[in-house]
Amino acid sequence: MSEIATTTPETAAEPRPGIKRFINVDFNVGALKNAGPRYWTFIGLLAIPVTMFLVALGVLITRSGAVVAMRDTNPWGLWFIFYMYYVGLSAGGLAVYASVHLFGAEQFRPLARFAVLQAGVLVMCALLGIASEIPGPAADLGRMLWFLRTPNFTSPFVYTGSAAAIYMLICFFDLWVMTSGTGGHKLAFRMTLIALPFAVYLHTTTAFVLSMNKGRELWHTAVMVPIFLTSATASGVALLMIFAYILQATKQYRFKPSMFRSLSTFLATVIIIDIFLLLVEILVVYWPTSVMPGHVIRMNDFVTLGGRYAVVFLPVLILGITAFTLLARRSTRHLPAVQLTAAVLYVFAIFLKRYSLDVMGFSYTTLFQNTGIYIPSLVEWLMGIGIMCFGIMFVAIAIKVLPMEEPEEEHNQAEHHGSQATSVDSQPEPTIEGGVA
Amino acid sequence: MCERPTVVQKHGDRLPRVLSTVARTLPAIVGILLVVLLAMSPGIAYAGKPGTGEPLFYPCSACHPTDGSAEGLPNDFTGHRIKLQGHDVLGEGDQACLVCHDEASKDPGKLKLIDGSLVDVTGDVALVCYRCHSAVYNEWKAGAHGRPTGKCTSSGCHDPHTPQYIFGSALLPFVGMGFTAQVRSETATFTPLAAPPLNHPIETPPWLRTLTGLAVVGVGGLAGSLIRGRSRR
Repeated sequence: MSEIATTTPETAAEPRPGIKRFINVDFNVGALKNAGPRYWTFIGLLAIPVTMFLVALGVLITRSGAVVAMRDTNPWGLWFIFYMYYVGLSAGGLAVYASVHLFGAEQFRPLARFAVLQAGVLVMCALLGIASEIPGPAADLGRMLWFLRTPNFTSPFVYTGSAAAIYMLICFFDLWVMTSGTGGHKLAFRMTLIALPFAVYLHTTTAFVLSMNKGRELWHTAVMVPIFLTSATASGVALLMIFAYILQATKQYRFKPSMFRSLSTFLATVIIIDIFLLLVEILVVYWPTSVMPGHVIRMNDFVTLGGRYAVVFLPVLILGITAFTLLARRSTRHLPAVQLTAAVLYVFAIFLKRYSLDVMGFSYTTLFQNTGIYIPSLVEWLMGIGIMCFGIMFVAIAIKVLPMEEPEEEHNQAEHHGSQATSVDSQPEPTIEGGVA
Repeated sequence: MCERPTVVQKHGDRLPRVLSTVARTLPAIVGILLVVLLAMSPGIAYAGKPGTGEPLFYPCSACHPTDGSAEGLPNDFTGHRIKLQGHDVLGEGDQACLVCHDEASKDPGKLKLIDGSLVDVTGDVALVCYRCHSAVYNEWKAGAHGRPTGKCTSSGCHDPHTPQYIFGSALLPFVGMGFTAQVRSETATFTPLAAPPLNHPIETPPWLRTLTGLAVVGVGGLAGSLIRGRSRR
């Protein structure tokens, strides 16, 4: 039997060999020591982009803003696209986590810890991306401190930035509560009550960063907040589904198909709302009796075939509608291939949507000057991909070391409530790769 | 002597009474708050300015005295251009100016009336409008058009250079707000301005490109070994 740390009373009293107890959590360091070569090859694969991130950061600091494609005409680059993307993706974790602890959706309970871990790591990645926005030697630390010391309360960035930092801490604290067993269900419930409004606050203020720009028509819309919430929830749930399938494919955990079916139904519902809001937004721009010429010209760049950003925006609609169509059919919705394909399509579609969203505000200046096409520089891509790989590496190590498995009492309770998942530890199945035999 | 009955106030009665008092006064409180907020709103205060009917540069005589007393323009103001809208049909360049003004070189000089006489810009300029808009002028005089003010220009409704702009008076109950409307015969076509200034090119060190290429090869190799290992299993 593989060894995964749990928080049952027995293990809490006497940690098993290879397990180190710290802040009341049993860290299974032995699982890392005994991990197989494939695991370490995977970690090594991720370490290369992470190293390249550090190299790119060094280039940015020494050569300043000349190495990025962010200019006066397009001041927010790939880092902000990833910021919106990661913040949005974190919503899926919260949706699942909250539905377990607040609404008693027991079928999602096996995913609760992974959901919190995913949310926390994604927000951490979003915050790390701000590093791209601090070019200039010597002044970097000063700028960061200046930002913290003299916040501009008229800027939505103050609210979204602080909300992201607090939300990340809440997520990791939540994870600690769940993995250490401290406070039990009661504290987990209370933490959810705190986390939920903070998550809404985070997503709302992130949307405000765009919609509060009154000089940029395509951003300045009241639909921005709900559309941000729906696309965030949809993509987040889709990512969590992919995460669950990866866990299952690596034979670490096994989830029952009915849990995936529930997730798929949830995902299909949110996707169609998201697409509906997007179409409404386009309709408002093109409604013939209230057309604003500047408004239409900006949008033409995205929705017409010859538009500068059509190649980025049109796939959002195509992939989104395809994903929904795949999940809409009840006869095929239960198929893992269908679920996984729809989830991957939508996660990718939302990245393109965030890209489009960023450049929608900058395709023309406020003086209606055409700004060309924004293509991130090599340094920006290296930083973005490096942060993403760091996040994946963090998760890969966390699920190896942390007791992500449900404690026995919760496990029983979940089964009692009709839980849909079991760990491989409780099954006569192959052992977890890399675990201590 | 008649003894007054003692009113026994039950504790439980107090809450409904308080609530009913609050319910009765709430609309009034909300109404007062709304009025106060509206009055304090900077948007409304700003919107109140055009309601006075005083265009920004008027009266012209503030900067262009007709008696020649001024030696220079105030605040180092070097001058401004007049852009005709609507009245641009009067001609091109100075030709349009000379339809109403006596001499293009004078600022602003005198204005021409229908009988060939001249009138000062501070005088009865409505008579200048009368030259072409006699019917509207007569309606205005009779009180059937616009406001019964002394002039139809600076303190009235129309800017003679852009007569489509109408400086509306305050509308009750929103006293002080006023509005500015522009009458346009057709929708203007949107034309983006010139291209923005050229951006500084992106600098990517050649060694970084090489290093990235090596990193891609490394990642590809490791990914390949993972995939091969999986397929063997």
